[in-house]
Amino acid sequence: MDFYLGLIQIIGVHTLLGLSAYCVLLTGQVSLAQAGFFAIGAYVAGMLTVLAGWPIVPALIVAALVAGAMACAVGFPALRVKGLMLVVATTAFGEAVRLFFFNFNYQLERGGFKFGPHGGEGFRQIRYFPEHGWSTFDVMLFIWVAVVLVMAALWWMDRSRAGAVLRAVGEDELAAQSSGINVTAVKVTAMTVGGVIAGVGGGLFAHYTTHIEHVQFGVVLATFAVAYPILGGLSNVFGTLLAVIFIQGFLIEGLRFMGDWRNLLFGGLIVLAMNVRPRGLIDAHTTLALKRIFRRKESAGA
Amino acid sequence: MDYLDFIDSVQSLADGVLFGTTYALLGIGFTLIFGVMHKINLSFAAASIGAAYASLLILAGVKAPPALVFLLSAVCGGGIGALVYLVGFRFIPLANPLATLMSTVGLLLLIDELIVHQTEGVPMNYPALFSDVMIRAGPFNLRGDLMFVFGLGVACMLLLLLLLYRTKLGLATRAVSQQPVAAELCGISIINVNILTFVITGVVGGLAGAMIGAAIGMLSPLLSLPLTVKGLIVTVIGGLGSIPGAIIAGLLVGGLENLFQFFRGVSERDLYIMLLLFAFLVFRPGGLFAPKAGRD
Repeated sequence: MDFYLGLIQIIGVHTLLGLSAYCVLLTGQVSLAQAGFFAIGAYVAGMLTVLAGWPIVPALIVAALVAGAMACAVGFPALRVKGLMLVVATTAFGEAVRLFFFNFNYQLERGGFKFGPHGGEGFRQIRYFPEHGWSTFDVMLFIWVAVVLVMAALWWMDRSRAGAVLRAVGEDELAAQSSGINVTAVKVTAMTVGGVIAGVGGGLFAHYTTHIEHVQFGVVLATFAVAYPILGGLSNVFGTLLAVIFIQGFLIEGLRFMGDWRNLLFGGLIVLAMNVRPRGLIDAHTTLALKRIFRRKESAGA
Repeated sequence: MDYLDFIDSVQSLADGVLFGTTYALLGIGFTLIFGVMHKINLSFAAASIGAAYASLLILAGVKAPPALVFLLSAVCGGGIGALVYLVGFRFIPLANPLATLMSTVGLLLLIDELIVHQTEGVPMNYPALFSDVMIRAGPFNLRGDLMFVFGLGVACMLLLLLLLYRTKLGLATRAVSQQPVAAELCGISIINVNILTFVITGVVGGLAGAMIGAAIGMLSPLLSLPLTVKGLIVTVIGGLGSIPGAIIAGLLVGGLENLFQFFRGVSERDLYIMLLLFAFLVFRPGGLFAPKAGRD
């Protein structure tokens, strides 16, 4: 049972990571820096609960704010370039963050033991949940409360003017600019919101795994972050959730019985999915078709 | 800094520049595909390593001379390049840049896993040419195998430039990269040019993979991600779509990387390369040689 609870935790945290990339992707930009913000959130939240003894919720909020501020600071220079250049710039930022934590040493001694990030060995013993008697189920519930809050906020944003502005920039920058939208401000805002969400995800990740190290936040995690929304489709937040369940639940856990053939299938299925559904699993057509089906039922019932 | 430190730093800079030819070749591959299709092929570095692996695996039972292994690696690279185009680009609408980005990421993972599956993840030794030669120039030593890698890289670049600027095929490639619609109206088949570009870059990549294997002395699937990042950095520093830019940036990144490693150690080395890239993006976003009428 704990295995499934753990899997649901992983899905929750990765959904947050995917949603952070979703915000940036809505403006038409591919950011591979999300793993960097995730790492910042993880280290900041871990250090606050372990070294400073803070409770989890304020630690998560501060981690989110720090990651958001970092995203905003990176957004200004990075968003001067777009397309491929932005992919490379954000990859470089993500790698720079990872390498920073690879060389980052800040340990405090308490009761004969040293706590804190220790360079290449990583940051061990982030034991807030076990120390405060949270069961696996409680942790899972806590993570999913955060996921649902973020998803609801993004869903609401999508239906408001802000969402329309983001999509306008993503669909056609020139047209958006000529109708009076400040494109740079919109992109930096999207980047900041993405950073905040990634920070929350990273903080939760650090606390449920209890041990983080720099290799976990490499290019692979960054590509996963953008892979979720692209695979799932950008028409709404549920595409990302579906893609996370598909990748983490089915491709990674569900196919474990296949041994190392699973890894081969993993790359192959992504290629196949892009060939068959280039606009994502849930694209605009699917949403439209679903809406039609539901409308028909309503009118039939009435 | 005393005299010995100075000698050592110059030595590491020289070694780095020699190894930098491999980065330059990878950068050329990314740049050429970007120039023709305005798309980024993230699986390129993985395919290069894959081609080097393929040459080893095909000749596993035979005691082949290293030159043959290099040649076969280039041939395999061309084949893999054509396959990458067919699977990752041919049937995906090109109007959607995210889709091909994702499909090449999938191919990157697929090629990596194929290598791991075939070799069980164990690094394999790669043959080197002239590894016993050592040229002495005053207080400096030039390693024979690195010199060979450098020479091969330069020859490859010259051939590529000849191909692009002195043949009909090169003319067609440049026409498609400048104006795809006009090129098609002149009777150039865009699909054929695209496939040929992938084959040519694949050959270059296969050679680069063999050179990396020869210079490091072994191949490992762990090489492909760092090489992808390095190749992209070289592409951006050199200027998108610019071949001379990719060459100079490759040598620059190779040299500086070794210099940083000498002064700051291997764990901080890449951090400074990333900062260098960021400096370029902020102060000179077009790279060293940005094409004048650049379209992105």
